[in-house]
Amino acid sequence: MANTLRPYLAAVRSTLTAAMTLENFASQVVERHNKPEVEAAQSIEVLLNPLVISRNENEQVLIEPSINSIRLSIKIKQADDIERILCHMFTRFMTGRAESFIILRRKPVKGYDISFLVTNFHSETMLKHKLVDFIIQFMEDVDKEISEMKLSLNARARIVAESYLTTFG
Amino acid sequence: MILLESHNVIIENTLTEKFQKPSALDVQFVDYDGVRFHLSTPERKSVLLLSMNIRCWEELVKYGAQDVIQREYGKWIAPSVEPEYNVSLQFDTDQVPEGEERAAFIHSVALMKRNALAAPFERAFLKQYQLESIPAPIDGSAREEGELMQIHYRDEEAIYIRASHDRVTVIFSTMFKEETDRITGRVFLQEFVDARRLPSIQNAPQVLYSNREPPLEIRHLSGLKDTEDVGYVTFVLFPRHFATPDTAAATISRIQLFRDYLHYHIKCSKAYMHSRMRHRVTEFLKVLNRAKMETAGEKERKTITGRSLRSFR
Repeated sequence: MANTLRPYLAAVRSTLTAAMTLENFASQVVERHNKPEVEAAQSIEVLLNPLVISRNENEQVLIEPSINSIRLSIKIKQADDIERILCHMFTRFMTGRAESFIILRRKPVKGYDISFLVTNFHSETMLKHKLVDFIIQFMEDVDKEISEMKLSLNARARIVAESYLTTFG
Repeated sequence: MILLESHNVIIENTLTEKFQKPSALDVQFVDYDGVRFHLSTPERKSVLLLSMNIRCWEELVKYGAQDVIQREYGKWIAPSVEPEYNVSLQFDTDQVPEGEERAAFIHSVALMKRNALAAPFERAFLKQYQLESIPAPIDGSAREEGELMQIHYRDEEAIYIRASHDRVTVIFSTMFKEETDRITGRVFLQEFVDARRLPSIQNAPQVLYSNREPPLEIRHLSGLKDTEDVGYVTFVLFPRHFATPDTAAATISRIQLFRDYLHYHIKCSKAYMHSRMRHRVTEFLKVLNRAKMETAGEKERKTITGRSLRSFR
């Protein structure tokens, strides 16, 4: 497991580092507007080729670069119902706090669980390599957190059932 | 606190206090499964009236709840039942027992809901005892079974109890309103089924769980919901679980609270996961904030009129 995780994260890291070359770019369509082009998608010539990095069909990263913004969407591993629910809870929890997460997109791109949107203003005020670090660490920790929560849920269920049934003794 | 208690703490505390120092009082409170209580002093300070409303009272009366109440509270039953309620007890503070006996008496009053709900269980245990003494028919036909008792103790959930010659079957229908609850509930119920494999709890009743599909005993009933969020939990109680009056009483108290216990722990684990996620999210925020550049040492410059200058975005 872990040996496929490392190249996967390494690929995401280098792609992200390469893609995060952003510059200020005002809208060509509306005067005095400055929108993330990857979201506005009004001038095709400033959008770059989107890229999917995939570990397997359940774990993928979609990176959509453009001249002044980059959108990164993550599909988190969900092996069963419990993991699906936990993942949903967790991403909902984060998107509810998108205000303080600055680069977090409030709504994930269709087909993915969570999306980030980095604009040139973010990359100007934040250190680029640290931003990449954050995303990589997020990807690592979210899997860990979900599997730990699942384990603790199962452990709790067992204790609850046992202590109820022992009272019949 | 892993196990829930079957007595009502509000009744216990209030009565302890008011028996010592009578004063005017009018409180309404609730217990599990939408049971409502009303404790008041309608006439005098020294006469307390405790009324209980329970949703499935008609069904419980059919299975002998009135007798159980009569047996437990006898002389304390109020002459008339308060409107909107099902049972009323009346206590004169001058007549209640003293000392040790008082504590025991108050505790038994606090068990009022448990006692009302215990009636069908006691009836089933008795029936099982009777059926056991009837020898098996020689012609190989099926042995007689007790009637199927239904207690609709919540809007969409019910308990079904049936006695047969060697066991008493208790079936809970459960309903999970929310997707998260449904999935967590399934994990918990699965553990209930599996837990019995442990050697230490071999004596526990057998637990079966089925999702959506009602068990054979109640399949003939009409009005059973057929949706994904319905499940059935079957407890098979053997004679050893109600061999002596004490074990029978303990079994009844425990099994009545099964649903509340299950849901209580589902909510607890959700709360735990939330606090865990909150912690994790603050960790993530710290990592993200590390990416922010230190603002340059230069202070924000202002014009003489107090306006500040900002770079244009």
